[in-house]
Amino acid sequence: MRLARYVKFREERFGGVLFETRSEKVFALNPTASAIVREIARDGSDESALVARLTDSYNGSRAAIATEVAAFVGDLRSRGLLED
Amino acid sequence: MLEAASPGEAIPSATPAQTSAGDLGAPLYIAWQVTNECDLACLHCIEESGPGKAFRDELSERQAGAFLEQVAAEQVPYMSFSGGEPTLHPRFFEMAGYLCERQTQLKIETNAHGLTAEGCERLRRIGVKAVQVSLDGATRETFNRMRVRGDFDRALQGIAHLRAAGVPVEINYSPTRFNIHEIGLAVDLAYELGAESFYTGRTMYTGNAVKTWHRLAPSEEQYGGFFESLHAKTREYAGRMRVHFHEMGLLEELRYRLHHPAALLIVLPNGLVKLINALPFVCGDLRRQSLKEVWANFQRAWQDPRVGQFVEDLASDPRKTATLHQWVFL
Repeated sequence: MRLARYVKFREERFGGVLFETRSEKVFALNPTASAIVREIARDGSDESALVARLTDSYNGSRAAIATEVAAFVGDLRSRGLLED
Repeated sequence: MLEAASPGEAIPSATPAQTSAGDLGAPLYIAWQVTNECDLACLHCIEESGPGKAFRDELSERQAGAFLEQVAAEQVPYMSFSGGEPTLHPRFFEMAGYLCERQTQLKIETNAHGLTAEGCERLRRIGVKAVQVSLDGATRETFNRMRVRGDFDRALQGIAHLRAAGVPVEINYSPTRFNIHEIGLAVDLAYELGAESFYTGRTMYTGNAVKTWHRLAPSEEQYGGFFESLHAKTREYAGRMRVHFHEMGLLEELRYRLHHPAALLIVLPNGLVKLINALPFVCGDLRRQSLKEVWANFQRAWQDPRVGQFVEDLASDPRKTATLHQWVFL
């Protein structure tokens, strides 16, 4: 799993932005979403590895993080922002 | 949970225009007019480019290099090289390569007349995001009439080289009263040529078009048919080629931008930075200021009352766009 070819990520004070340069659409990310995308951009991997890394880095239950990551990743995929 | 907020709820979709530039630490898009020199002298050129039209004070290689270093350092995700004809710049390939190596996605806007097979292969290796070719006509007759010194077949040859090299191609089309009827054929041609996207909109009354407007300006009736065709072509090519067009008039768009400035800088060949192409206001000078300083000025400049006044004056005098090259420094 990685950011789609035409998608760029940049961290911002409020979190981050994803910029899809073909459609020129911008998606604003809050800090939580930005933390997830940072991990995807840094080291594209499968969802379970992503959840494990986030669980190591943040306080929170693995189950709760897994639920949020699954929903968020699904959302990114539906918008064409992620690819395998 | 990582935090209280659900990440899924945190990504409202937005276009650049809806993204408040004020929230961002740097621009998302920089459109650099690399040079004002051009091998063609198009009737409608909004930049008044042409042979011998390079600015005397265009950025030196050192200044251009310093600018691009800042673009990379600020992680500007998207940049375009336009002109004039950007491929005429002696360091064109080196500059394109520098940006792509540093993960900035780069679009080249060109007339394609100078694109050789070798040059296109080099662009593929560099990894440019796309090359946008101006093809203002579906036929040799209209294209050559619009693009003085241009040649339809050379443009098609350039596109063929891009496709053979595997470089993504986009087509840009400027309507005039003598080519506007070809819009449907032009979209079809773009698809046949392998384009991924097709861009068009209303031709602006500025630059060379001021002198040639009596020969160029489409009627509103023509524009009506034009946009109707584009809606139909958008549906026809859905899923195969994106058809982008701005139906909005200039005044309407500028009024919107006053409240929602796009996170976009327009950099002129001499390093001056404009708020937007359709306004005369300059908010910085990259020869003397850092990109960060210019970005801060950009955000303040949109609030300057002269900007709002100019836009409102356009309502009573649409021909004020003839003065866009008389820069006003904010």
